[in-house]
Amino acid sequence: MPKHIKRLILVFGIFIALFILLQQILRPSSFGELGHYRSDAIEENAANELHYAGVANCSSCHDTVRLQKSAGLHAMLTCEACHGPGLKHARFAGSFTGFPLPDSLVLQKPTERKDCALCHQINAARVKILFDTIDNSLIRQVNALEHNLMSKKTKKERKCVSCHNPHQP
Amino acid sequence: MKKNRSALSRRDFFRAGAIIAGGVAVSSSVATVNGLLFASEPSGGKGKWYGIGIDINKCIGCGKCAHACKLENQVPDDPFYFRSWVEQYTIKTDGTILVESPNGGIDGFSQSVPEEEIFKSFFVPKMCNHCYKSPCTQVCPVGATFDTPEGIVLIDENYCIGCRYCVQACPYGCRYVHPEKKTVDKCTLCIHRLKKGLQPACFEICPTEARIFGDLNDPESSLNSFLKNHTCMVIKPHLNTGSKLFYNALSSEVR
Repeated sequence: MPKHIKRLILVFGIFIALFILLQQILRPSSFGELGHYRSDAIEENAANELHYAGVANCSSCHDTVRLQKSAGLHAMLTCEACHGPGLKHARFAGSFTGFPLPDSLVLQKPTERKDCALCHQINAARVKILFDTIDNSLIRQVNALEHNLMSKKTKKERKCVSCHNPHQP
Repeated sequence: MKKNRSALSRRDFFRAGAIIAGGVAVSSSVATVNGLLFASEPSGGKGKWYGIGIDINKCIGCGKCAHACKLENQVPDDPFYFRSWVEQYTIKTDGTILVESPNGGIDGFSQSVPEEEIFKSFFVPKMCNHCYKSPCTQVCPVGATFDTPEGIVLIDENYCIGCRYCVQACPYGCRYVHPEKKTVDKCTLCIHRLKKGLQPACFEICPTEARIFGDLNDPESSLNSFLKNHTCMVIKPHLNTGSKLFYNALSSEVR
């Protein structure tokens, strides 16, 4: 075999050996277990923090509200749809260690007209038949920003919730 | 005449035959181990295989899903980072299509077209389609995005180099570059909730049950009964992305 070919083979050999060595060192251990990715990343994604508790958590304490709501038109709404994520609230309250609840864990009570308008403001895109609602009705739509705005008695602006109980509208 | 019946010698004929037979044998054996064609394959009836159903007839455009997604997954507040959002489509009587999505629908919608000019109008909630032949995972140069065995498209934050190739590849616009992490971010189908037996936040919160979540491998799942009982379609079926987000009452105007 000519000399230059021998040298070339040696150089290639060193190159390949280096490549294999580097790959062994640099490749994460779980890479390639399930495919061309690091399968540990699934667990890392699954380790994210929870925020929404789920309706079962709410009704374990607030069962009266659940009962009241289940008879009304808002039966399908989950608590956290209006009150916001409540897992921290539920965990703290569930531990029975530190009543009263700190302010940061008190959940929001949306009472403004714009909060109701999110669902009930008149919109051509919103004329829907909700077959699963209790009386097969359309979702009620009003001009939420003007509907019965002024109180006749007090001559003052009033909120939707001063007439409608959001838990049983 | 007899001499010209075939220009092919016997030797050439056998050689061509052997090449064809060999080619067929090789290609059929490659099909079973192809990592090239699909990023991941349907799990063939074994294990979980998550899919999503959205009923456009039921969506009232409250934007609670988009809001819940931002709070659950700490998506940046700016009105252009979304993992889940709602679009309002308005088809005017003259045929023009108007698509609006102010802050993804979180602050509510208003109808900007006068009543008499509206032919039809509807809301389309959008999110990652969790495709099983996902273009976004196929283009990733470092293997930082992938399909899990359960059919969820995820991102490996520690591996992503932020090249934005996948952002361009996704035909549904479901990816963005996180302004702080500088890596790509997208819907995880709330895998952290799934592993604890909870529903993804947007499904948990939907007040009209317009969003249905379930296991496509389970014939009894709510998603499979939804698919059986409705005329469902995916967005951009011609792209053959293997989308697993099925819409009921999807208009052809939706892109």
